[in-house]
Amino acid sequence: MFTTNRRVALFVSSILLLIAAVILVFQQTQNQPWQQYQRMYFKRTQQPADIRVRQVVPQLTGQPELCLSCHMGLAEISPSHPVEAFGCISCHGGNGLSLKADQAHTGLRGGKNPGDLLVAQESCGLNCHNGFADEGKNHVDGVLRSLQGTYAGGIAQVRFSFGAQSTETPLYGVYGITDDHPATAAGLAELTAFPAQSGHPIDQKFAENCLDAGCHLSAAPRAEPYFYRSTGCAACHVIYQNDGLYQGSDPTIPPDEPGHMRRHELTAAIPFYQCNHCHNRGNYSLRQMDFLLRDDLPPAGAPISAQMPAEGRRLREYYQPIGEFTLCEWELDCIECHTSAEIMGDGDIHPKQQEMQYTQCHTCHGTLEELPTVVTVSAQHQTALRQAQINPNYTLNIGDQVIITERGELMGNTKQVDGRLILTSKVTGKTYPVNPVMGSGCQQTVAEQESRYCHQCHAYAR
Amino acid sequence: MIQITPPPRRRFGIRLWRKNKSFIYNLHPPQIPAAGARLTYTFGLGGLAVLATIITIVTGILLTFYYVPTVEQAYPSLALIDSVVAFGGFVRSLHYWAAQLMVVFAALHMARVVFTGGYRSPRDFNWLIGVGLFVIVLLWDFTGYTLRWDEGSIWALLVGTNLLKEIPGIGEGLYRLIVGDTALGNSALLRFYAWHIMGLTLPGIGAVGYHIWRIRVDGGISHPAPTRARPRTFITRKTLFFRETITAIAATAALIILSALAPPVLGAIANLETAGASETKAPWFFLAIQEMLRYLSPLWAGWLIPLAGLALLALIPLFDRRGPGRGEWFARIRWQPQVIFAGLTLVVVVLTLIAAAR
Repeated sequence: MFTTNRRVALFVSSILLLIAAVILVFQQTQNQPWQQYQRMYFKRTQQPADIRVRQVVPQLTGQPELCLSCHMGLAEISPSHPVEAFGCISCHGGNGLSLKADQAHTGLRGGKNPGDLLVAQESCGLNCHNGFADEGKNHVDGVLRSLQGTYAGGIAQVRFSFGAQSTETPLYGVYGITDDHPATAAGLAELTAFPAQSGHPIDQKFAENCLDAGCHLSAAPRAEPYFYRSTGCAACHVIYQNDGLYQGSDPTIPPDEPGHMRRHELTAAIPFYQCNHCHNRGNYSLRQMDFLLRDDLPPAGAPISAQMPAEGRRLREYYQPIGEFTLCEWELDCIECHTSAEIMGDGDIHPKQQEMQYTQCHTCHGTLEELPTVVTVSAQHQTALRQAQINPNYTLNIGDQVIITERGELMGNTKQVDGRLILTSKVTGKTYPVNPVMGSGCQQTVAEQESRYCHQCHAYAR
Repeated sequence: MIQITPPPRRRFGIRLWRKNKSFIYNLHPPQIPAAGARLTYTFGLGGLAVLATIITIVTGILLTFYYVPTVEQAYPSLALIDSVVAFGGFVRSLHYWAAQLMVVFAALHMARVVFTGGYRSPRDFNWLIGVGLFVIVLLWDFTGYTLRWDEGSIWALLVGTNLLKEIPGIGEGLYRLIVGDTALGNSALLRFYAWHIMGLTLPGIGAVGYHIWRIRVDGGISHPAPTRARPRTFITRKTLFFRETITAIAATAALIILSALAPPVLGAIANLETAGASETKAPWFFLAIQEMLRYLSPLWAGWLIPLAGLALLALIPLFDRRGPGRGEWFARIRWQPQVIFAGLTLVVVVLTLIAAAR
């Protein structure tokens, strides 16, 4: 039998245990990861803490999403994709009703990147960037068939050179792809997925050392400075710093961990160093079937840094020592001249790079005998007007006079004003005069207009 | 001179109310044989199983405010409960752990009854009720598990319902009766939900009440017959009630701590198209059956052997009807039922451990 004192002690201690348990529950419910992220966010941004579940009900789906409860401070992906309209799930997939990372991230399209080519048709293409009668608007299909995606020309050249296939016409892409209606004469109907296990001596090594080592849009990049980037659509449209550090306010992304986007932003104003995450980072050695890195790059950091004057650094980073280039080729950004069809494809499966890389010096500068071709923008030039609309750095209006390429693409960032051509940078908004060859002291013959001929006089010394 | 005896003082207030009105106070008779109420005799296991049941039912009612039993909404509604609903994650965790402990306490309670000979007449009928309750508890847990509608639970549901088809003759019909369709879908989920919160719960509550009531009718918890050397002693219901209260508070606190520290997992959302493509582990209380399914045909592993095991349990009072040894732990004279029970337990535990280690 218990004495009264022991009874009281037992009763009191059991009640205390119960109170302790309840306190633990309260404490746990106040310290969920999402609450800790919000505390971190408010501390970093030096705002008074206002910790509560953040819900968005996007107009497109009408389904509540809680993603921003953890991902506070994440920049809006782009003005064309306002979060109030799209939310997160429309593009990313996943479960917007959970505040637990593992549950919330179940079913994410393409992991962190819904623009990956494996899922882009669903995440970007479905109802938005695919499915139009006008192929120029089917960007996802275009990219999937583009050389940046398929690498068809490179694969065909390598396999043909090594005797692995008897024709220079591409048979294989990084992935298999078809085109029911090729619009150009050279357009292919089909590519088969690269046969890494074909048994031919080069195929496996080619796949491992080149194709899977970062040489096309669906390959994961090398995890090292200068190479950090995403894949698929985001490989170009989501900017990565050379050091791969995140500069936004999302507390779930460690600011000191390399390998993250600069900010959660899609952009059409793509700077040169984004292209450089793939291009001009080294050389292919066919003999070794390997990729040899450049050894002349300064330590990665923000591209404009105190370590080196901006211009000098840019000169070092842009091209390899063996590259020949003119002033405009390193002063401007790649996308000032290379058009979206060149980069993102025109909807056809093209067999080689020369087919698609058609912007040359004469496109903007003309020849000794001709000025560049200029057209007046009208309502029928919807593609160019749309491109200008999504880029904040230049404007294009009906009635403007702009340069047109030999394939009929408008270079909307050029403009003829008072008889003089001016180029506005798509990346910085700076303007540059576009001087015509005609009337200059140039002695180039009209038949030789590829850039290599221009480089003979205009090559810039490093 | 006339002596006037004052009338007995009437009791007022809380004491009177307790005596006349309190349900809990009057659950127990005024005096209880001390030997049957000792903590080292019962370990309070039956009471703990009832406590777990009450907590499960209360938390279950709270969960029904948010849970939506449709294929589209079941998983998202659980995610919502876990994430957004105030204390929702904790309530679900408490529901989960109380339900798991209900199985554990019920099984241990059964073991206690077997090893102390508590199943004997006049408590043999109550033993049968108890075996029935154990089946209800397992089905409660299983139906609850399927309501999660995540990868693991859809697999268990698929295997469990496909086992129905293995019953010769009536299997297909039974499948349609229980699943409500030719394949898993909304109708199956709604039916399992209905069974979970009503079809099993109402008989479960009734059977628990009956089970408890029978304890009193059968002369209290089993205890050894008094001898000259060991005369029967009693404790008051106040003492018993005090012990029960302390145990319940401490057990509730422990359960709350467990629930706060170890919330149940919710796997990836179930996909009916790919369900069964990859193997998942059954809920732990059915791991033994899952393991048997590897070696034996579904009819034997899923039905005949488990039912035979249950029948054997139910028949235990028949093997040991009278004689000494009642109310004693591990009485040698009653070795047969104990060996049967220990053998069954050993088989289940070994199969469960093998399956868990895979």
